[in-house]
Amino acid sequence: MYGGDEVSAIVLDLGSHTCKAGYAGEDAPKAVFPSVVGAIDQMEVDDNTNGEKNSSIDSKAGVKDSERKGKRKLYVGSQSLGFRRDNMEVLSPIKDGVVMDWDIVDSIWDHAFRECLLVDPKEHPMLLAEPSSNSQQQRERTVELMFEKYNVPALFLAKNAVLTSFASGRATALVVDSGGGSTTIAPVHDGYVIQKAVASCPIGGEFLTDCLLKSLESKGVVIKPRYSFKRKETRPGDFQAVDVDFPNTTESYRLYSQRVIASDIKECVCRAPDTPYDEASYSNIPMTPYELPDGQTIEIGADRFKIPDILFNPSLAQTIPGIESFAEVGPNVRGLPQMVIDSINRCDVDIRKELFSSVLLAGGTASMQQLKERLEKDLLEESPQTARVKVLASGNSTERRFSVWIGGSILASLGSFQQMWFSKSEYEEHGASYVQRKCP
Amino acid sequence: MANSASGMAVQDDCKLKFLELKSKRNYRFIVFKIENQQVVVEKLGSPEETYEDFTKCLPANECRYAVYDFDFTTDENCQKSKIFFIAWAPDTSKVRSKMVYASSKDRFKRELDGIQVELQATDPSEMSLDIVKGRAL
Repeated sequence: MYGGDEVSAIVLDLGSHTCKAGYAGEDAPKAVFPSVVGAIDQMEVDDNTNGEKNSSIDSKAGVKDSERKGKRKLYVGSQSLGFRRDNMEVLSPIKDGVVMDWDIVDSIWDHAFRECLLVDPKEHPMLLAEPSSNSQQQRERTVELMFEKYNVPALFLAKNAVLTSFASGRATALVVDSGGGSTTIAPVHDGYVIQKAVASCPIGGEFLTDCLLKSLESKGVVIKPRYSFKRKETRPGDFQAVDVDFPNTTESYRLYSQRVIASDIKECVCRAPDTPYDEASYSNIPMTPYELPDGQTIEIGADRFKIPDILFNPSLAQTIPGIESFAEVGPNVRGLPQMVIDSINRCDVDIRKELFSSVLLAGGTASMQQLKERLEKDLLEESPQTARVKVLASGNSTERRFSVWIGGSILASLGSFQQMWFSKSEYEEHGASYVQRKCP
Repeated sequence: MANSASGMAVQDDCKLKFLELKSKRNYRFIVFKIENQQVVVEKLGSPEETYEDFTKCLPANECRYAVYDFDFTTDENCQKSKIFFIAWAPDTSKVRSKMVYASSKDRFKRELDGIQVELQATDPSEMSLDIVKGRAL
């Protein structure tokens, strides 16, 4: 038992796209920054050819790899990432919802504590949000890192879907969490995630952003990353963009910078169409202008509706030139309404009705205009007659985007919750596997 | 234990009053609320009160738990009653209160032995008399 009423806990939600961190009890996270980091290898020698070399001499490459990891320099946070550096690669620690690179996670946590929140992790209990189907191995690794490296006095692992569900006042709900890297459907019943019915697909905000980027490129629009030009005032009020050349910029950094712009275009102009998208009926819709950072104005037409419709009909992505990654996942990915229905059908018959009437939308992509209305309509058409379909999303966009974090923030600040923490002394006595008991 | 449970305590009075409702049937309903980190009894309804009287006792902008003893007649003309547990969390209530009530529900419900039907409602239409009848049969 940990009785740390006086010091406020820290709540961390590391998503595939953004990391949210802040003090428990507050309404919104203090720090929100990208979950990707910039990395520069300190051993530059064979940097450009490592792809081929590593695969040819496997055993040697493995050693080299870890050596290099030890010597790379990581840049975390929007500001450090916004600054272009020679040979800086952009890396993500998470792949398909699973942490692949703990060094990067470590650097992100460190950044959150010491640079964003300015706290000493030794003094604050930590509530971490975790994906609904996090493996035991991942959980124990998290616990070890937190207790051993950061010396936190206590921690708790709360499931994303449960926090979202609770924050909407429901102990039973179907949580549709559409985030950056993926979309996860998780039924929650009485505070338990029904693991066998959790479904997830790799179509999230980033995939849509990529589709938009490729689609614009295929129409001849060039999105110039912010670092690649300088704006000069030729006459008062009249600007001209002059290209600047940085030959040592990595491909991943260029893509990262383009995505930042494309995702803003997406958030500004896209909205889910009321009915399934088809090329013919959307060919004549009015164009919407968008001004790019370099001053050129582009016009976006059918893509406004086509891109969001990929959530409902993933095969649409195949019609966009250059979406190669889709071929790998393509055939297995179903549209959002179908995923919802499949997930509900894998639950016990008794709770299906209740799940249909409380479908909760959360995550960044869920803020897409008209998404809620469209999902409700599609579900109504495909659900059993007797079911009453209700799709809910918080009217407040902060609450919608940060529902997981907000849920964690309230929970960790409750006086009664203070007895629930997994404390350092319990960790020392029982080991990391005790987390399965303390945070089921 | 469910994940992210709040650890809220339950005052003994809640259990006692519920037992009376169940065995002696001297209340029609009980409304509970969370106060000072524990669940307490807020209101008791006498056996003569109707379902409408009960719904009036639930505040429009605040969360509550409630137990209602529902009398009904089956298609075979058989007199029956069922005890309903209702988690009332209106959409207009504060996030904090929604979170507190939802994360404490599982534990609280376990304390009340003998609940037959459970209902979660976020607006009055989700706990209309028709729905309650439908769930009872």
